[in-house]
Amino acid sequence: MNSPEPGNPPLSDRPGEPVASAGGARMGEHPGIAPSDFDRLRELLFGDERRELDEAHARIATLEHSQRDLPQRLPEAAIQALRGEGLNPRVAQAFAEPVAQALGAAVQKNRQNLIDILFPIIGPMIRKAIAEALRNLVTDLNGAVESSFSPRGIGWRIEAWRAGVPYAQIVLKHRLTYQIDHVFLIDHASGIVLQHESAPELPPLDADAIAGMLTALGDFVGDSVGQGPSDTLESMRVGEHVVWVIEGPRANLACFMRGVPPNELRVLLEQRLEEIHARIAGTPEADLRSPANTEVWHALLEPASLLREVAAREQPPSKVFSRLPLVLVLSLALLALGWFAVSRYRWNSRIEAVHAQLVAHPGFALTGLTSRPWRSLDVQGLLDPDAQPLEGILAGADLGSIKPTLDLNGYLSSSDAIVERRALRLLAPPDGVRVAVKSGVLALAGNAPEAWIAHARERAGWIAGVTRVDSTLSADVDPAVVARAELDRLLLESNARQIPFVQDAQLAPGAEAVVDALAANLQRALALANVANVELELFAVGNNDDSGSAETNARVRAQRAQWLALALSARGIVDVQIGSAPESGSVDASTMRSASVHALVRAREP
Amino acid sequence: MQACKVCMLGDFGVGKTSLVARFVRSTFSAKYLTTIGVKVDSKEVELPGREPLKLVVWDIAGRSALDALGAHYLRGASALLLVADGTREASLSSALNLLMQSRSLLPNAVVALIVNKLDLVERWEVAPTTLAELRRSLPVFETSALSGDGVEAAFADIAMRLPT
Repeated sequence: MNSPEPGNPPLSDRPGEPVASAGGARMGEHPGIAPSDFDRLRELLFGDERRELDEAHARIATLEHSQRDLPQRLPEAAIQALRGEGLNPRVAQAFAEPVAQALGAAVQKNRQNLIDILFPIIGPMIRKAIAEALRNLVTDLNGAVESSFSPRGIGWRIEAWRAGVPYAQIVLKHRLTYQIDHVFLIDHASGIVLQHESAPELPPLDADAIAGMLTALGDFVGDSVGQGPSDTLESMRVGEHVVWVIEGPRANLACFMRGVPPNELRVLLEQRLEEIHARIAGTPEADLRSPANTEVWHALLEPASLLREVAAREQPPSKVFSRLPLVLVLSLALLALGWFAVSRYRWNSRIEAVHAQLVAHPGFALTGLTSRPWRSLDVQGLLDPDAQPLEGILAGADLGSIKPTLDLNGYLSSSDAIVERRALRLLAPPDGVRVAVKSGVLALAGNAPEAWIAHARERAGWIAGVTRVDSTLSADVDPAVVARAELDRLLLESNARQIPFVQDAQLAPGAEAVVDALAANLQRALALANVANVELELFAVGNNDDSGSAETNARVRAQRAQWLALALSARGIVDVQIGSAPESGSVDASTMRSASVHALVRAREP
Repeated sequence: MQACKVCMLGDFGVGKTSLVARFVRSTFSAKYLTTIGVKVDSKEVELPGREPLKLVVWDIAGRSALDALGAHYLRGASALLLVADGTREASLSSALNLLMQSRSLLPNAVVALIVNKLDLVERWEVAPTTLAELRRSLPVFETSALSGDGVEAAFADIAMRLPT
């Protein structure tokens, strides 16, 4: 209520009492009008109004009196009113708006105070929420720990190893659950629902209205903050609810979910939208909601099938693609292992071959063979001075760039080969002497000068490794002497070969064969004469019997000697002179009528 | 069931939202009109002699001219319901202006004009002769969102004229 203005005091606190007003005073002072008349006139003119005014003043006074203690009575009155809230909800409704406004004003004007006031409330609430979240997390981690050594846990570990992400991330990915509530296939242009799929047991909703609003919202966001046609509303999140919008040229997909959906679901939805577009390519707008299409949309967008498909993609079949790196790594590892095995096998094979050759090498005693594959080879052993060097074996071992190191000490080998070599070195046998060692027995055979034989017999028993000497050596014979003996024998034999004649220079049967044999003997004799270091003169001599004249006989002998010389010349024996025959008396009967060769041996002049 | 998009266009305060509220049972709050500029509702309509039809009604926030966002919202509409306030002749001009602008975007859309606030007919500024002239070009319905008079008829007419 308005208070009286200054200069205008209240008319009266008592009802019915006349009130002196400024106006009245002025009228009472009017000349010519008595106060009683004035009062009576005023009563006549304003009596009713004055009474009403007095009553109003009285009511106002009463109200003012009652309002003076309102602040003291208001809390109790509010409590009384709210106690009856169940019966009279209008009290709360009446308070709602002013309380909200007051709170708003308090937030704007006294924010810190409000924070101070609410802190004791908000703190426990936050702590409770955090505790709840941690409890859930601990539950998940407990599950993860419990499954760490289960086949599934091992599989997750392998998946984490392959993906290069922490194990906890894989665990959370698999343990976080999500649910698809609704899937809308929406006409891109009009926002009208082409297909709506919902999870079971969800209350029905106005799919067309929701799809329309979603489309309008997308248009609004794109028009408000988008930089171009490609800037579209892709997702929305409110609390645990997530909405994904996937746009296509003719139709959009909107998926309403709860929880944390995996990215595989978005990929699947994009693929499904592509399938849908492939199917509706060229389809008129009016046919998009045909029953045939609806069946297909249902099969593609049904939430349960989407969940199954996503789960299947997270299972091993999807790992076929992601297993490729593992296969590659394993292949490379196998190749490396194979290469290593082959390399090691080749090395070992070669080392074994070297080892076998070194062990079999005469005059070498292998005491150690250490190697690092394709890095080094160390050979330790004892080597006889008469043994072949080892470099040939090592050079032929095909060890690549490896340079083997040799750690050798000398020794005397008792192997037959080395003893034989040692004997050859020490005895230096001449040609014609054969040296062999078998089981330590030194065998000497052949011809040698008398002096060497004596020297060898003296030293052979002292050769290291020789246990016994078995000598069959013969002293050397002068070849000239041998040749002279053989020559003498051949000349005697040649002289004895008589070429028979029948008459004069007519040969007897078989004479040619005798000539041939004689020529062969003479050939051999001439050769031996060179060896025997003598000169040989050959004479063809004709013989005859005593019949006939001496002159005739001399002519016949000359003819026969001449024939033989020519015959021998024809057979390669040249320089056969014609000799004179002995007296017939000195010729026995078997030599009559014949021709023969006589040889004269003379020492060759130096 | 066939669904068709119907857009409500008109100036501020002509009663579009009230008409929609009279026609459908709204799913969304009218606050969307002041936030994103549109509110979408739907209603199945039983029509004599043809399959039931679902009207998806886009109540676009009042405007006297079509802007870019409004053009977005009109996309794919099968029908346009232009709403004017009979007590404000300027709103009729706005409705006709919106019709001209939207015609280029929706050349084949079914169109009807609703002159609302029939309950205040004594204060109408739109002359009957004007309406008679307009009826020669497009269907005109006089409605009252307050009483519901003419609302069902207007939507039914739209639905009947939509292609199957």
